[in-house]
Amino acid sequence: MRDVVFWLSGAAVAFLVTAGAFLLLANLATAPSEKSLNPDRAPVGSGHAIDLQLDRERLASLEPLPDQSLDLVVENEGEEPLSDVNVTLSVSSENTALSDSRYYRQTVEKIPAGGSENVRFEFDLVVPEQPVTRPSAAAPEPSREILELRATTQEGNSTVRTVILPP
Amino acid sequence: MNSARLFLILSIAAVLAWGCAHADEEDSIAPLAPASGRVDPGLGPGAQALSSGPGYKGSPSWSPEGGRIAFTKDGYVVDKPTGSGNLRRWTTRDFFAEDTEWESDDALMILGAVPPSGAEEISNSLYRARLGEDSLELESVENDVSAVGAGRGRLIFAFGSKTRESWLTMTRGGGKIDRRYSKPIAGRVASLSLAPEGAQAVLAVRPPKDREVSELRVFDLRKGEGRKIARLDGAREILGTPQWTEQGIYFVAGKQSTTLDSDGSEPLYNIFRVPEEGGSPELAPGVGEDFVAASIRVSPDGRRLAIIGRLNPKSPTNLYVLDPLANVLTAATTNEDMEIKTGLDDLAWSPGGESVAVIARGTPSTEPEVRADPADRLLRDFYNLYEIPVGGPEEAPR
Repeated sequence: MRDVVFWLSGAAVAFLVTAGAFLLLANLATAPSEKSLNPDRAPVGSGHAIDLQLDRERLASLEPLPDQSLDLVVENEGEEPLSDVNVTLSVSSENTALSDSRYYRQTVEKIPAGGSENVRFEFDLVVPEQPVTRPSAAAPEPSREILELRATTQEGNSTVRTVILPP
Repeated sequence: MNSARLFLILSIAAVLAWGCAHADEEDSIAPLAPASGRVDPGLGPGAQALSSGPGYKGSPSWSPEGGRIAFTKDGYVVDKPTGSGNLRRWTTRDFFAEDTEWESDDALMILGAVPPSGAEEISNSLYRARLGEDSLELESVENDVSAVGAGRGRLIFAFGSKTRESWLTMTRGGGKIDRRYSKPIAGRVASLSLAPEGAQAVLAVRPPKDREVSELRVFDLRKGEGRKIARLDGAREILGTPQWTEQGIYFVAGKQSTTLDSDGSEPLYNIFRVPEEGGSPELAPGVGEDFVAASIRVSPDGRRLAIIGRLNPKSPTNLYVLDPLANVLTAATTNEDMEIKTGLDDLAWSPGGESVAVIARGTPSTEPEVRADPADRLLRDFYNLYEIPVGGPEEAPR
């Protein structure tokens, strides 16, 4: 009787050890990689402490010429005053084969809590000459100009507005 | 005896504890957020964005393993993972690529040219680009190439400096010429594709001295011989690349026109079918007489046909999948105010036949548009690639 119990116990233990080993291997193989699961996470520091307000009428009046100007309002939506807020403007073409992006930068020294500051950018909005193109490879319509405005606080909070101007 | 029992109980407890201990980690895996813009509702449920941001994109091509997709962007060639990941550039910005096909998972064959500074027209050449090389240099394979087709690890192309005669050549791995076919083809090969089994090719040919005729020819790659199977007269042209299915050869054709018709409407193209033995082309069964076709691609197994077109001239452009055996046409997209690109090479099957890549954008506005995302994350504002699920090959009835 003791032999039977001994062998039954041994078989059960062997089964459980094997099952445990497989369980261990399975857990090791499916260990999630946090890095690969977060490809589209928002940039670190993004938040809603600041906002950018654009005048649509002024945007509509921009022309593809030098010496254009654009006023925007940087709003501090937080409960603490902000200092040294960087505001950048990049001007580029929808045609990514043209590598002529222009960058402009301004710094707002102080924005009180719940307050706002005006920023004016003066920039060139000259549509670059299209390179020699072949009909089959080129877009059948003129490229649009893209303005990308970004305000970034010292803490790394940022907000973005992208403006797509019709040709 | 007591110690054996105790050991048994402890073992069971240890296994149970181990098995349960990792449940929390699985709970912590966050699903990919649709808020990132990966799912676009403008093409129907299931459409997944494969690219984002500005750039005029075209000629998508899935890598042999299906993990990456290559395409042209404002004339240069890029590829990226079909999941998230950055673009890789394969050609310089002054190169104009018309078509790109994977030769292997680390090499692309590219049809294109570097345009001269003048306005003169130049012909395309075929190049090979390899991954991992320091510069974006291309290896020239052949000049004056008019058409390229790929499949089953091989690539066949037609070349010829004049419109009088063309020659076919096959490469297989490493960009090396596997076989040059000595018998010329009368005329200029406008497009070609391989049959799914890979032993034959179908060609759209413009015969010499007759600009109002298009011919359809098949070419046996083992015997090195071709034959004409159909001829289109009356200023009708074959648009794009004919496709070889298990139920015959399908192609898009219509009246030659570079402008609008006299009544102001766009020229209309239909899908035709002709048996591979040859004969008179008939309107493709199952598609409908009013269907306006733009481009077609056969699935990797030859059992389905992806079609970009409209059910009638007034309906929106959508992606459809035709089962040529059952003559059943199924809509794969539900177009909600999107412009689906209708270029001849603007659709591609995934290697497994579960999805089709198309290129689309929202209807552009005549007013400035303001968005709350960086330009390189925007989808609808620019032409971008979308993966459209179309069901697996097993779903096609036999």
